[in-house]
Amino acid sequence: MAMSNIVVGGALGPNKVSGKPVKRPVRSAGVQSYVPEIAKGLGITMSHFFKNTKEMVLSQRNDPVLEGIDDGINCISYPEQRRPYPERFRGLHRLTHREDGSVRCVACLCCSTACPAQCIHIDAGEYPEGDPRRGYERFPTRFVIDELRCVFCGFCVEACPCDAIRMDTGVHAAPYDSREQFIYEKDTLMSFVGRDGTQLTANPRHEPGDSTHPGVDREKHH
Amino acid sequence: MTTALVFSFVAKALFVVMFGMNVAVILTWVDRRQGAVIADRVGPNRAVIWLPRRLAQGMVAGPALLLAVGVIAFFLTNKAEGVERMGRALLFTHLAILATWLTGLAIAGRVRARGVNAEAGAVVANLDRFFAWLGDPRIFVYAGLGAHAVTLLASGLLRGTTTGTSLREVAYGASPAIFAVAVAGGAVYAASSFTEDRVGLRLFGLLHPAADGLKTMFKEDFVPPNADRFLHSLAPFISFFPALVVLAVVPFGDTLCFGDKGGKIDFGSLARTVPREGLCTDGAVALQVVDVNVGILYFFALAGTGIVGAALAGWASDNKYSLLGGLRAASQMVSYEVTLGLTLIGAIMVYGTLRIDEMVRWQAENTWGLFVQPVAFFLFFAAAVAESKRIPFDIPEGESEIVAGYFTEYSGMKFAMFFFAEYVAVVASSALMAAIFLGGWALPFIERDGIYLAIGDTVLVRQSLTHLSVVLLGVLAFVGKTLLLCWLQITIRWTLPRFRYDQLMRLGWRKLLPASLVNILVTGLIILAIASASPSVMNALRIAGDMTELLVAVLGIVALGALVRFVLAPAEKKRMVVSSAQKFAAALGGVKSARMGA
Repeated sequence: MAMSNIVVGGALGPNKVSGKPVKRPVRSAGVQSYVPEIAKGLGITMSHFFKNTKEMVLSQRNDPVLEGIDDGINCISYPEQRRPYPERFRGLHRLTHREDGSVRCVACLCCSTACPAQCIHIDAGEYPEGDPRRGYERFPTRFVIDELRCVFCGFCVEACPCDAIRMDTGVHAAPYDSREQFIYEKDTLMSFVGRDGTQLTANPRHEPGDSTHPGVDREKHH
Repeated sequence: MTTALVFSFVAKALFVVMFGMNVAVILTWVDRRQGAVIADRVGPNRAVIWLPRRLAQGMVAGPALLLAVGVIAFFLTNKAEGVERMGRALLFTHLAILATWLTGLAIAGRVRARGVNAEAGAVVANLDRFFAWLGDPRIFVYAGLGAHAVTLLASGLLRGTTTGTSLREVAYGASPAIFAVAVAGGAVYAASSFTEDRVGLRLFGLLHPAADGLKTMFKEDFVPPNADRFLHSLAPFISFFPALVVLAVVPFGDTLCFGDKGGKIDFGSLARTVPREGLCTDGAVALQVVDVNVGILYFFALAGTGIVGAALAGWASDNKYSLLGGLRAASQMVSYEVTLGLTLIGAIMVYGTLRIDEMVRWQAENTWGLFVQPVAFFLFFAAAVAESKRIPFDIPEGESEIVAGYFTEYSGMKFAMFFFAEYVAVVASSALMAAIFLGGWALPFIERDGIYLAIGDTVLVRQSLTHLSVVLLGVLAFVGKTLLLCWLQITIRWTLPRFRYDQLMRLGWRKLLPASLVNILVTGLIILAIASASPSVMNALRIAGDMTELLVAVLGIVALGALVRFVLAPAEKKRMVVSSAQKFAAALGGVKSARMGA
């Protein structure tokens, strides 16, 4: 009902019907009986069937599956030989180090908040009295990732404001024999090395108290 | 003779059962092929049996070498004289030409497809280079067909002359040797081109349905906790059994006439020509498992039993979807059974018999049922597709509405039996349609005594054939017609969308059923009109019948030619390697030396 009101009349008034004439569907006997169209459709199916089957039987058609794996690598003797992973492959996580070898993480909980699988658990701790970082940042007393629960989406790496967590180890989660072995603690995560062979990152870190420290600190009051 | 009778019964039953089941397996392959075609990908060809190279070579070369040696041995031990000498010289010349051009075509096609095989040794590589130099493989077809034609012409023109006699002697001596060399050479070439340690036997992917069938046997057989265990297990058998046994009344070939040599079977009579008219009385073996005189009624009685299995499965599964599916199956099959039966009434009125073999004889004598009952054929085909519960009539198992219908709660081999019963039912209905509407084993212009091309009273070609070859041709024709109809049904399944339930019922009761009743009325009127027609009208009808046979023959030959032309059309394939694994292999310095089988 609403439709007819809009199409006929409208702003132009009841007598001025305008619009594009719509062609009525053809309802000839051929269309209604459905038979010519069936024959046409069958013809198309048959022609494709013949062509495809002939090319398969005479090996004139590419077989993506067979040819995709038939590319020169015959057999990989894993783990002695490994297929190289792509450059941006997301492998196991690592916690990057600072220059002094301590953990770069400031326990802001961004990663565990961003994690869709909720596989990251962080207990934040304060630096001891007298440490220049105390009052500015905290550090993780525990940093646990359940690698079995992880979906390797990389959101934690995206979320981290200090480049403290990375997935550039190039190592995939290898199978273990119990679930506990997939729970990676802070020391394990810190022991991993990135593909460039370092435990640091290329991004510089400015510690509180350094002259290059950009923000507010005890010496520089704003 | 009773032992022979029992033996022939068992052999026929075995043939029919194996025919039905094997064609059903092939149909599942065709069905999957169609699925692959829709997505324009390569079909089911993953299942493979790896054979050691020596075994594969033996399997290829062995039978061919045996055939070659057998032909030579036959030639050396059996001398033919007189008329027979001429016949044998001709036969072997044609065989030699055929074997030569087929072998040449196969080798040239292989060389064209994969290039010169440099790894297989100097002889093969040089042969490959020669074939590559020859160019288009189709020249072998043209040359071969030309050679056949020349031989035919020469045998006709030079008959009786001295040149003809000397040519006959040359052909008689040389053709078996050429045949043997062509067959053995082709086989040895094929065997020597295997360069890898193992050869995959894929049979175009036909192993795939076989592997699937094997798999279902080992799958868990789950019965719902509250289901009726007995009926749940019984239903697939009730569904499967009738689909298979209905084939018993469908004749798959003309009656074989064995002679009687003092109480013993005379196999020699198969190699003789039998008279065109009339059937032999003693030593006759009808190529039909059971010879009942209400054949068509038996077919429908048992085909209708299949729905009991579906309905029972729906009821016994303790599942609402199953129950709905079972009810739908029952109502649909009952509805279409009516049309199915009534469309055949017209055909039965024309043929005047309920015996399917006599229907075929009528068609062999006059014209195919397709031409006297075209509407009935169309209606019967539609109703038969509906009867087999397949797309576009697969309401009982409509996935989008009721999961899988009556076999929702089935798994493993029981599910496979339902699945398989559907395909066997397709084969059975196709076989029946081939027998009733497409002339069964009858081929145009092939009578019991050989080729007899005649329009009206004008005889054009006449060539007598042995009884065995005529019957074998008939069996092949029947199998071919059945396969064609099966394939048509599969194609329909992959072309049309599913009907809605009310559309299905409306089509059955308000379109097909009245149409079949009108068909009966019109058929009756025409039969009455013909019964009182003058002799000249009868003669015209007879010529019209011969013309339809001519039409079928011409269409068949044209279709065959088109198929050959299509198959031989070149298609250049470019090797496609796009996988990331290949890039990694290159990054690692990987080399393309070994093939990986999947």
